[in-house]
Amino acid sequence: MRRPTRRGFVAGCSAAVAGMAGSRFPSLAFADPDGSINNEVLVVVFLRGGMDGFNMVVPISGADRGHYETARPNLAVPVSGSDSALSLDGVFGFHRSCQAIHELYQSGHVAVVNATGLDESTRSHFDSQEYIERGTPGVRTTASGWLARHFSSAGNLPPEIIMPSVSVGNLQATSLLGDRDTVNMSDPDSFNLQIGPYDWRDAQRVALRHMYTGDTTWLHASGLQALNAMDIVELNTSGNYTPSNGAVYPSNSFGDGLQVIAQMIKLDLGLRVATLDLGGWDTHVSQGDHGVGYFAGVMSTLSEGLAALYTDLDGVGAANYTQRLTMVVQSEFGRRLGENADRGTDHGHGNPMIVISGNAIGGVHGSWPGIGPGQLFDNADLAVTTDFRRVLSEILIRRMGNNHLGVVFPGYADYQPLGIVGGIDLPPDYSATGDGLFSDGFETGGTGSWSLTTP
Amino acid sequence: MKPVDSTHRPSRRELFDRARNHTARALGPAPAAPTRHHIAGRVTHMRDTGRPRGGASPKTLPTPPPAAIIALTRLGFGPRPGDVATFNGLAGNDPQRLQIWVDQQLDPASINDGDCDARITASGFTTLNKSLAQLWQDHVTSNPPWSVRLQPYYEVERATLLRAAWSRRQLLEVLTDFWHNHFNVYGPDSWAAPVWSHWDRAVIRGNALGNFRNMLGQVAQHPAMLYYLDNYTSTNAGPNENWARELFELQTLGTDHYMGVMQQSQVPPGPGGVPIAYVDDDVFEATRCFTGWTFDFDTGLFAYRSDWHDVFQKTVLGTYIDDHQPALFDGNTVLDVVAAHPGTARHISTKLVRRLIGDNPDPAVIDAAAAVFEAEAAAPDQLAQVVRTIVLHPSFLMTWGDKIKRPLEIVSSAIRAADGRFSYAVDDGDTGTLLWRYDQAGQPLFAWRAPNGFPDHKDDWQSATPRVMAWRLVNWLIDVRDPGNIHRLNVLGQTPAATRTANELADFWINRILGRPMPAVERHEIVEFMAQGHNPDFALPLDSDADTRDRLRSMVGLIFMSPSFLWR
Repeated sequence: MRRPTRRGFVAGCSAAVAGMAGSRFPSLAFADPDGSINNEVLVVVFLRGGMDGFNMVVPISGADRGHYETARPNLAVPVSGSDSALSLDGVFGFHRSCQAIHELYQSGHVAVVNATGLDESTRSHFDSQEYIERGTPGVRTTASGWLARHFSSAGNLPPEIIMPSVSVGNLQATSLLGDRDTVNMSDPDSFNLQIGPYDWRDAQRVALRHMYTGDTTWLHASGLQALNAMDIVELNTSGNYTPSNGAVYPSNSFGDGLQVIAQMIKLDLGLRVATLDLGGWDTHVSQGDHGVGYFAGVMSTLSEGLAALYTDLDGVGAANYTQRLTMVVQSEFGRRLGENADRGTDHGHGNPMIVISGNAIGGVHGSWPGIGPGQLFDNADLAVTTDFRRVLSEILIRRMGNNHLGVVFPGYADYQPLGIVGGIDLPPDYSATGDGLFSDGFETGGTGSWSLTTP
Repeated sequence: MKPVDSTHRPSRRELFDRARNHTARALGPAPAAPTRHHIAGRVTHMRDTGRPRGGASPKTLPTPPPAAIIALTRLGFGPRPGDVATFNGLAGNDPQRLQIWVDQQLDPASINDGDCDARITASGFTTLNKSLAQLWQDHVTSNPPWSVRLQPYYEVERATLLRAAWSRRQLLEVLTDFWHNHFNVYGPDSWAAPVWSHWDRAVIRGNALGNFRNMLGQVAQHPAMLYYLDNYTSTNAGPNENWARELFELQTLGTDHYMGVMQQSQVPPGPGGVPIAYVDDDVFEATRCFTGWTFDFDTGLFAYRSDWHDVFQKTVLGTYIDDHQPALFDGNTVLDVVAAHPGTARHISTKLVRRLIGDNPDPAVIDAAAAVFEAEAAAPDQLAQVVRTIVLHPSFLMTWGDKIKRPLEIVSSAIRAADGRFSYAVDDGDTGTLLWRYDQAGQPLFAWRAPNGFPDHKDDWQSATPRVMAWRLVNWLIDVRDPGNIHRLNVLGQTPAATRTANELADFWINRILGRPMPAVERHEIVEFMAQGHNPDFALPLDSDADTRDRLRSMVGLIFMSPSFLWR
């Protein structure tokens, strides 16, 4: 079996960068002599703060519509008028601000999974985010993120890959924590050392590389990785990115971050995973009445951004990136069904996840637990009927070709596909040892077994 | 000392056991009663607040340097010229020097800080000493232009960088930064920015070496916090639990002492019958206790609205609060209870130890600090005593390289080492550029949105963007000139006239910046860079050749970029 080189980036990159010399290196990124390489790209968008799923995927008919309106006399998204919800299946509808992704939904590229979440009762933002991003509900101390463990267990990636993962933002996403190859970046145009006394920049950079090559601590490894990433980005970005197909990204940091991802995908550097955050969802106060206001604004940034990325990547032939693109959107929890006295909502529980892909099986998925009397979690919140790991596992297996669920989601043992994306079902492998890979990227010479926490 | 990771490591078996329990209870609409195993899993194996992560497994860490370097780098923002010699002159051995130094630092009034004060005066700040009422009048109710409304925030932001660079009360500055993040408020907010200098001066700085319960009381009644976590709007008819939740989760007990959705009566009692952890019902009950705690939008001052208060009886962490109590009684009782809970002593101590020593500390330090926190709960200098306990613990001088500098420490220690000169005035262009470049490195002051404050763990600061942006920042620092065309970090001006060979130049600046020798592999690169293929013992034409002078500045930048500069 082909094993990923956990030093693919750090070790392989110097040679790759030297070989690139201004031209691209697609043969390295996508060499696939025996057809065993997976080329899928997963984009994970995390909505920080607890997105109000009741107002994104709105009950628009039946008894639950009544319960919803009763609980939210001011905040309910209407079903008539210019701000009315956009029907998905006659039972649920998107918030009006989701127009752009509603169009993708109508084309069959959007799967909505209702009532997903954690099998933990916490209403803490930080615990919930840690549980989800580390992939271990109930355990915050897991040493690595679930996406990092996906890389360490996938087994179907090229032995050397130039830029396997990008975490957009000032800090690396927790889901990629422990993955040494991830490049964390907010602005490719200033991701360089073109600053300081002009004549000595090159020599300084050479000396810097030597200093960080000279030892074996994690600090040296991360410094070298930053230098490699700079080399690649400098060689490959022109500073003037023009989206394809007339895609228009929101003019804010979320739109900018999505464009970074689009650029990195199109550069054929081998990108497999990208993460990006959108915050501003902790709407305890004044989130906006009757489908308009603050929440509507953030939601339209989300919707327009996701649709722009899809449009930008939706080319033909070799540029048909959407055929290997899967976007998944999630938040740490939903919000309470009942609005509070400040026309906001407090921390809740279950929430929808949204999957957008050229291979999506469009529609509304998951089991809806109902929001009538006796149906709510803790008498207040949407119950969770679908473990978030089930959604992610289906993407891992059917799209990324990785069935090592025991490594990616240790302790998770009852996976069944929901049918949200197309692909081949592989039997889940729940063994926690994977195929003897290390969690931290360093060949420590230890037992060789995969370990959950810091050695 | 045992170099142990103090955090609980769940075994794979435990994970599977937990998963089984969860599957049984979690997918129905109502949670089943927790099993004993669940309780044991959550509580008897208390987890630390911090996060041991993958990847941070060093093969070789640098050996600890002398006490002067450790103290000045971890309890301060790095040595200024002369600091190491002053420290070493305090006594005949390192432990004694450290004790004398830390006792001075814990009594900041005893340290003459006239030079720093004069620089603050020269920077022309006008809001740093205003009362809360005055700030409100000048920056809110007078409806000034937006820049004036935010002026207190801008001034504190700049004064913070100024003090990090110039104040001799370095430990106070480090702890002020710690408490700002512990009681995080998003500073640029339109209702926080106008009162920012009061929040910084009276609540954070004023209590950083004081008493935790006092500090908590002031935090709870400050408009910046009341607004940030929404309690200003919490009423009997419409309670808002945001503040009460973060009070438990982040500011006092921490989620190591949280058991989620569970009945209060099911939480096992600890010493004295006090529940060992809080549950959601405690958050809800505390929310009721704080209803009516708000502020007056006309004056900015704390206000208690009895007509908004829920007057009926409550129970918080096992403490029964009778109905119809006097004004503020309920909320103050909650603050008493959470401040005195053993979980709070552990949570605060753990965070302080992680900040001042390392990410994987000897558990004995946390035990010792928590014991002092509890024993001195009534002392006016409780927090100073906790810090003293941590610093004087043997593991303090034995730990090095279990942390790295974050951007605030990088920029401050570079400016200190090379005697950088900025005006820090709000309207100064170079100060503005400094802040803009600093913000890009990922730690904009007082601007972390979520209530948990900037991450402290080294793993959060070793990804590419903080690294690259900090490298860019120091290369800008060595290049920027003042209006008189003098470099703000005047590298050439501070280089002795007799120091002209590549070896001499490297050693002079390595010692100036690090206060200690560099590992040979790093020093070699510094020397080679400066020599550029020539004999490193030949004098360089520093005085006649502008290109050589540029090279010297780039060499200093290179030292700022080195691994050695980043260790803490």
